[in-house]
Order: sequence, then C-alpha cells, then structure tokens
Amino acid sequence: MHLCERCNKPATVHLTEISGGKPHEVHLCDACAQEAGYIQQSHVPINELLNQFLKSHAQMPDVQTQRCPDCGLTWQEFKDTGLLGCGRDYDLFEKQLQGVIERAQHGGTHHTGKTSASSAPGAAPAAEDPVKLRQAEIKRLKKELDIAVKEESYETAARIRDQIKSMEGPS
Amino acid sequence: MTLDNLTSQNGEWLSGSGPQQDIVISSRVRLARNVASYPFMSKANRLQRTELHRLVRENLLQAPSTGAGRTVFYVDMEKTDEIDRQLLVERHLISKQHAAGEGARGVAISNDEALAVMVNEEDHLRMQILRSGLQLREAWQEADKLDDLLQQHLDFAFSQRFGFLTACPTNVGTGLRVSVMLHLPALKLTGDIEKVFRAAKDMHLAVRGLYGEGTEAIGDFYQVSNQTTLGRSEEEILAEFNDVIIPRIIQAELAARQILENERPLALDDRIGRAIGVLKYARLLSSEETLYFLSHLRLGVVMKRVTGLDLPTINSLFLQTQPAHLQRLLGKQLEGDARKSARAEFVRNKVGKNNL
Ligand SMILES: [Zn+2]
Ligand SMILES: [Zn+2]
Repeated sequence: MHLCERCNKPATVHLTEISGGKPHEVHLCDACAQEAGYIQQSHVPINELLNQFLKSHAQMPDVQTQRCPDCGLTWQEFKDTGLLGCGRDYDLFEKQLQGVIERAQHGGTHHTGKTSASSAPGAAPAAEDPVKLRQAEIKRLKKELDIAVKEESYETAARIRDQIKSMEGPS
Repeated sequence: MTLDNLTSQNGEWLSGSGPQQDIVISSRVRLARNVASYPFMSKANRLQRTELHRLVRENLLQAPSTGAGRTVFYVDMEKTDEIDRQLLVERHLISKQHAAGEGARGVAISNDEALAVMVNEEDHLRMQILRSGLQLREAWQEADKLDDLLQQHLDFAFSQRFGFLTACPTNVGTGLRVSVMLHLPALKLTGDIEKVFRAAKDMHLAVRGLYGEGTEAIGDFYQVSNQTTLGRSEEEILAEFNDVIIPRIIQAELAARQILENERPLALDDRIGRAIGVLKYARLLSSEETLYFLSHLRLGVVMKRVTGLDLPTINSLFLQTQPAHLQRLLGKQLEGDARKSARAEFVRNKVGKNNL
C-alpha cells in the first residue's frame, strides 16, 4: 500500500503526472490531494449537504407525504437528485430548503440582486404583453385539462386540448 | 453561418486581443433562467420540453438580442451528430452535459461566438457571454442586456426571497456564474500554484481545468469561478472578481515569471526549448501532451523568449488540436495512432518555423 507523500496517511489518490515530459507517480490522501488541487469539486456536493442537514433535523412531520401540486416533486426526490421540479417548490419546501440553501450559498439567504421585469415596481402587468398573455392562458387551460382528465370528462378534455393546440400553433 | 465556418475561425474569445491577454485567456458570464409557466427540466414531459424549445428558440432568433450587428444561428442538438456536439464543447459553446443530453434542446450562437444560449440544459436557458482577456464587466453588461430583452417576451421564474429560480439551488438568486480562464504556467513551475488554490478555496471559489470538471488542469489552464449566487448582488460578485481576485492571481503569476526570468533563466529556456523540440519533431502527439507542451511554448511567446509565433496562432492551436476540431479540419474520422500522427503533422506545420 502506498502512503501519502505529504502526511504518510494511507494514500487514496494515485496519479501519474507528466513533468518534463516524463511520467512520475504521485500518491496522496484525499485531504492532501484536495489541497494540492488534484481533486477539484466542480459543484457544491448537494447530496452531502442534504444528508448533514437532514441528520440534524430528524423527520419533519409533513415532509414525507408532501407533493408539489404543480410538478409532483416530493422532498425525497429532491434528496435523491438535488434538483427541484418547478418554481413553486421553493415556496412549498421553503422550510426544508432554507438550511440547504444557506449552506450551499455560504450563508446567503435572500436575493439582493437584479429583479425580474415583471416583479419590478411599476412594471407593466405581464398580461399586457400578447406573448405572455398567451402563455398564461395556455397554462390555465392545461390545469383545466388535468382536472378534466382526472374527472374522466373526456369530451371536455378533448375540447380543451384542441383549444391549447390552436393557441400553441404558429402565431 | 454553419459549424464548418466555426471550425476554421478563432472565436472572439481566443483572439488574444483582450486586456491582460498574456495571462487571462477569457472572461465568461453565465445567467441561468427558467420560463415561469413551465416546470423545470427534470419534471417537464416531452410535450412541454418541445414547446419550451420552440418558444425560447423563437425568442432568441427574433429578439435583436445580440445588438451590435450580430447575427445568431441556432443548432438543434437532436439533429447534430456526435463529432459536432463535441466540437461545440471544445469551443466552450455548450457543456458536456448538453452534448450528452437527450430530447429537444439546442444552442443559439452568435457569429462571433461571444454569445451562446443553451436551451433546455439543466435550466431552460443558460445564457453565456464569452470575451477574450479580462473583460468581465463588458461581458456582464451584454448578458444583462440580453436578459432584459428576453424578459420583454418571456416571464422568468422569480421569487422576492430567492430571486431567479433555478433547478439546482446552488444557482438560485442571481443565477450568475462568473468564470475567468487563466494561463498560469510560471506559478506551476515555481510550485506556488497550490497557494493560489488554497486562497481560492477559502474565498469559496471553484477552480478547474480547461476541459472537463474534476480533472487535473492540463496545460496550466485554470478556470476560476464563483460558487455563491445568493445573498450578493451581481455588482458585488463582479467587483470581487474583477477588482480583487483576478488581479491578485495575475500579480502572482507575473511575479513568478519574473523570478524565472531573473533567477532561473536556464531552467526556463530549457522548458521552452524542450516544448519546441517535441512539438517540432514528435511524430505521434496525444491531445494532453500537446496541451502540456503548447503551454510552455505559450509562456515562451508571451515572455518574448521565442520569435516567429504570435499569440492568436498559439491560442488557436490549443483548440485545433482537440479531437473533434482536428478531425473536422482534416475532414476525416481518425482513431489512435492515425489521429496522433495527424496531430503531430498539423502542429509541426504551425510551429516549425519559430526559434528560441
Ligand atoms: Zn496526506
Ligand atoms: Zn413543483
């Protein structure tokens, strides 16, 4: 077994480095390899953060059963993938997300930068823009469609579907 | 404008014309955005994905989004073969993830390659502005303007508390990722590069190589980027990078170059000379080896210890010797030794004339 060249702990990282055109072997432990820049973390390891966080917060009552009505995401799914399913999840899971975000963002908890055009004070309501208006209407119709399908009102569903299709067609 | 044109041109970011070009290869600003009325990618079904793709593409091609007489063309990933997707990765126009992805997705690219907007990557939109040298503020201004223009037609997911909403909470808030690509061969040679890494880590910055994430920096290229997107404004993020972090790293590299020049000129010229030797006479070159030796040659050129070569030529060699570029330029698929041999010949033709 190789020992870390720097601290003599068991080496876990084994590399061949080319220096001066000649290969030469490097053996390091995780900590030393990270410090030397051989291992670089491209993403904050969100799963790791989550695990730490969840351990410290044991089971929150509703978390297990809660499901986003818009996209269907559960907290467990987020834990598995590190990805949220829609914008609403930020509200819905705000309590659980708070700690995760604070860690991932090195203490950042609130947005202080640029605001969106539609949220800016004095911004024209989104509905005045024909494109946005159409988007909003399509979104509303899709929710109606979901309900119609769930209620098995297939005639209504077909009508709504045609309506959506015509709105989505080339404008 | 097609991918054929791309292969043979250099892209503004590799022109070697920006400020601090001896050390700073490029400045990149990336904004993550999602259209409010659609779920994020992981929850979008095929229909929604296709709709989104069409909606965003239309807006990107219509908006005078690009200003300054730029034209934009669109590449549909589903209709693009593997080698061309790889080509776009090598040119930093799309991510590896986007190249390897599935379903309706694409990228809008301006003819000078300064602008690239990935559609349906991890977020609905990933807008990138790439400039040569240290031009972060300029890059941000362009990205900001593009964002404003798109917001005239698209409603982006936004909350008062968390700002612009992204699929992964590591991007939430500004959605802003600022990256600077640095060439730091002297710090590597003097061994001081590790101090730079440690300092960067303390400041919550990510450092990675020219290509690929998590791999060792090949050719002494390091990409430094911010990891925090929430709790600080765009201006604060930019100011820290542009005015504090990057100037410090530049200073350290300049000091290391000075030390090499004054105290170890023989060792320095030896490195450069060996690089030229290999690049001139090798008959088989891997892409990693090529990056490694081109890096030392580049150092020789910017330190004026090599004549007969300019920075744009060297910069383009870094790109043109990458696998997809090489095969595109030569117009054929090559594997193993055939590719290495073709690469060696290509490099020899460009490097052959210079003198130490
Ligand atoms: Zn160690
Ligand atoms: Zn949701």
